[in-house]
Amino acid sequence: METATENKMVIKDLTMYYSGFKAIEDVSLDVPGQRITALIGPSGCGKSTLVRCLNRMNDLIEGVRVEGEVVLDDENIYRPSYDTIGLRRRVGMVFQRPNPFPKSIYENVAYGPKLIGIKKKPELDSIVEESLKKAALWNEVKANLQESGMRLSGGQQQRLCIARVIAVQPEVILFDEPCSAIDPVATQLIEDLMAELKANYTMVIVTHNMQQAARVSDFTAFMLVEEQGQPGKLIEYGDTSTIFTNPEDKRTERYITGRFG
Amino acid sequence: MEVRKTFHQQLDELYIELLKMANTAFDVIEQTRDAFSTLDATKAGNIIEGDDVLDEFLVRIEETAIELLARQAPVAIDLRSIIVIMWSAQHLERLGDNCVNINKAICNLQGYTISPWIHENMDEMFQRSEQMLVTSIESLKERDTSKAEVVPKMDDTVDRLNRTFLTSYKGESEEELELIIRVVMIARFIERIADHAVDIAENVHYMVTGEFAWNPPEEPTT
Repeated sequence: METATENKMVIKDLTMYYSGFKAIEDVSLDVPGQRITALIGPSGCGKSTLVRCLNRMNDLIEGVRVEGEVVLDDENIYRPSYDTIGLRRRVGMVFQRPNPFPKSIYENVAYGPKLIGIKKKPELDSIVEESLKKAALWNEVKANLQESGMRLSGGQQQRLCIARVIAVQPEVILFDEPCSAIDPVATQLIEDLMAELKANYTMVIVTHNMQQAARVSDFTAFMLVEEQGQPGKLIEYGDTSTIFTNPEDKRTERYITGRFG
Repeated sequence: MEVRKTFHQQLDELYIELLKMANTAFDVIEQTRDAFSTLDATKAGNIIEGDDVLDEFLVRIEETAIELLARQAPVAIDLRSIIVIMWSAQHLERLGDNCVNINKAICNLQGYTISPWIHENMDEMFQRSEQMLVTSIESLKERDTSKAEVVPKMDDTVDRLNRTFLTSYKGESEEELELIIRVVMIARFIERIADHAVDIAENVHYMVTGEFAWNPPEEPTT
């Protein structure tokens, strides 16, 4: 049974609208620090919507409105004039389809540090090496850093994207179905990598693969839209062992046992 | 390149925990044998109180095994290993309970005179059941089915010794009857310990081959 650490983020009564359509309603959830929290639920339940609220990526969509709070280290990230650019550095994101820049492996990782003002080559070299090592990719690419990132395999590209996030020293890393576009062996490598990254980062993973949530996460939140047209709600949240051996809510049990999906 | 390192490490640790439990169970049988040889009620009492250790091993092993089953969806040898670890832990816990029952009987034997013949035969039963457990544990540790196959054959001697106590009753006195009843009970409990060792050996066969030893495939008839 996993023990919680202090919360890195807290979601309080969060409701989100896309142009007047209520997508998620009254979600309250803890994100313990240096742990992996998984969001599971059927398609359309609002889990990706929720995770994109954690670094205000949803702001980029027209017509989005948010009620409630998302607290990062005691500060509500939705308060007026909060630094959203700084937020997206502190709370990085890895997407479903690997999306390396059409640049060299080196430039992919160095891009973020350069943007924040790091110019000296030795320093950039060091950041690139460290980030690629933390993303478990260094040994595979160290001899070819000037090659295009697009020439890597899917699994390698995804690890390059993780290195890219790590390079700007985030505190939280969000993963939105990070393995759904890559093969099973590469998936396992990334899951093992996530277990190592826990030492230094807080992570939230959205996954439609329940077994992945069971393998990799410390805490699991189950979301559901109960009737078409209704908003997604948080049904149950708890430590992953309990959710997968003895969930409290029958709806959670029916979902994880495959009685509906 | 191994891709499920964390899970396999956890599985190895669970295996080691089971082997520790097995070593503890062996120690309990040996201490029980010693308590019987001197009819020492104090030693017997201590063994009874110490039974919690095996119970706690069982709880820990089962909780970890269930968590691994739920979270890792193991297959093939990993699945069979976890199942066998759970089964074997249950057998070892029951074996410990049988030792508790023997020690309670030892406490009730205070004041009786046990003939050398009974001491000798009982000691032989203890020793043989210990050998069976050791062989089962070794076969489990080494995942060695040929070693595991030896254990059911060793059981015949223990069964034979168990039967001799009952046939030895001469009908001479009520006191002799009370004594022989307790002696027969102790022998029965040791025979059950030996059976648990056989079950563990059969588990090893299942773990390695995927076949249940008590359902061997039918020989083709000619």
